[in-house]
Amino acid sequence: MATATSSTGAPPPSLTFARPVFAKLSPHPYLLRTLSPDSPDQQPTRNNGRSPQQSRPIQINTSSLSQAHGSSLVRTGDTTVICGVRGELLPVTSIPQFRPHNGTLYDQDEDDEQRARKELRDYDLLVPNIELATGCAPQFLPGVPPTTLAQTLSTRVYSLLHGAGVVDGRGLRIWYTPENKKEEGDMDVKEEQEEEQKPEVVAYWVLYIDLLFVSFDGNPFDAAWAAVLAALRDTKLPVARWDPDREMVVCRKGGDKGLDIRGLPVACSAAVFLEKEHAEVGKGEGNRHWVLLDPDRSEEGLCKEVITVVVDCSEEETRVRSIEKQGGTVLGRELIRGFIGVAEGRWREVKEATGI
Amino acid sequence: MTVTTAPEAALGVLPRADGSAKYSHAGYTVTASVNGPIEAQRRDEHPYEAHVDVIVRPAAGVGGTRERHLESILQSSLTQIVLVKNFPRSLVQIVLQVEDAPENDYVNTKLVQASLNFAIMPALFQTSVLALLSAGVPMRATATATAVAIVSRDGTKTSVVDPSPRDVEIARSVHVLAFTSHDELLLAESEGDFTVQEWNHVYETAKDVCCRPVPTKEGMEMILDDEHTNGPDLRHFLRSTMENKVASDLHWK
Repeated sequence: MATATSSTGAPPPSLTFARPVFAKLSPHPYLLRTLSPDSPDQQPTRNNGRSPQQSRPIQINTSSLSQAHGSSLVRTGDTTVICGVRGELLPVTSIPQFRPHNGTLYDQDEDDEQRARKELRDYDLLVPNIELATGCAPQFLPGVPPTTLAQTLSTRVYSLLHGAGVVDGRGLRIWYTPENKKEEGDMDVKEEQEEEQKPEVVAYWVLYIDLLFVSFDGNPFDAAWAAVLAALRDTKLPVARWDPDREMVVCRKGGDKGLDIRGLPVACSAAVFLEKEHAEVGKGEGNRHWVLLDPDRSEEGLCKEVITVVVDCSEEETRVRSIEKQGGTVLGRELIRGFIGVAEGRWREVKEATGI
Repeated sequence: MTVTTAPEAALGVLPRADGSAKYSHAGYTVTASVNGPIEAQRRDEHPYEAHVDVIVRPAAGVGGTRERHLESILQSSLTQIVLVKNFPRSLVQIVLQVEDAPENDYVNTKLVQASLNFAIMPALFQTSVLALLSAGVPMRATATATAVAIVSRDGTKTSVVDPSPRDVEIARSVHVLAFTSHDELLLAESEGDFTVQEWNHVYETAKDVCCRPVPTKEGMEMILDDEHTNGPDLRHFLRSTMENKVASDLHWK
């Protein structure tokens, strides 16, 4: 860029723009110039000073909201998102089409896990909602219904919460074991009753997961997902039990119990920047491209093809939890497989920031 | 359990739209109308290209967040295959009405479901491409899409093309892939729990369904080889549907 400004520089000073002005006036050529430096010894950089494969460092703070059961504040660059988790009690009598639970309290098998997963989905025990606050970025106007972006993000978080099986649904059940009446003298009657006195699920915890973007500078999903995961790890629910006399669930103070969160899926996004923005749409040959990891807002505006990969490297073999690629044909099979490797690197960064 | 039927399609079913198509496959029936290029609303106007607007209407109720997500996926993919640069400042509107969806007897049917429905995406995608072809909207390529689920049955993992709702429910992972007619990967959506090797296998399966090469008409080897029975041949289906439509339109000559 220095050459461009200095060559037009001296005689008419009115035509010389500062770099930020040029970046604003014609963003695509500006980013292209910084990504394709004249001399080969210069590294391609983006407007924000990062290299194409460099992501912004992530900071995670937890338990900053006092009224929520769990909360987190995640910051990557200028994208800041705050997440609060609040548990509400849902008695089974309020669930339409409730199917009574035929398992027992001590089931720990695969079937019960599957059943718990189904319960999460059927009874909507996880309710994520994303709000893009007015003023977090210029494109969000006050007093309008939720934008397509906000609705899309909510759906993606919801799908991933269920698809990745992050929350163990068994931890959200509230059990009640009816006590035996001691007055019955007859042994036979007593034994019969003992058989009947099976523990039953009387209520569920519903987790309301609310996300608020305080500041929005691109790559909302990665930040939102990291915030959801950190907040869920931070969530502690009070001990709840069924009071048969009052016929309601009561909570006890103290002795809060954390949720059972499985794995650490981490989202990693990138956008594909093409050399020719308004070129004839052809087969894409001769059109150079750069895969920009963790794009910021200005870069997102210039890229059409985006990819998000969610990986979990907690076990020895990398498990992929989600791939979302749309809006272009540059990323084929090999590039996506390569990108999963990049996501593994991101996973280690986020793991370190989470502090586990 | 799975109703394996060949896909069916009819073009030009709506008389007032510029183009329309009705497509049914794997239990899903979708009707699409395409109008375009028409005048764009001021906020949608783009100085260099046409805006592709996709509206998904569910079979019952009004669209929610899930439909918005489906719309955004379809919109970004279809923008890539429509020659949007030819029609600056205009709009191509695609309305997709889901008419029929297979029912899952194992779950309580909820009217509003927030999670992404993978099984319906290929039907929506295919219908929009057919409707765009029917409307004569210039495109750089056609595209085909398919859904693949990895189901573990009796300890072994098998991939199921066009999974039923029950398959999706018990599946380890579900994938939707779309390819253009140049064999490029246009869309890839996956969820669940899978490895890179499994995804690779899914890619192969989906590519076989979407981009099977046109059988050579020389010799006897064209349709007789039964090794390729893994799902329908969607590219050939798209082609033959269009050929039939053109033949019937030109019948009077």
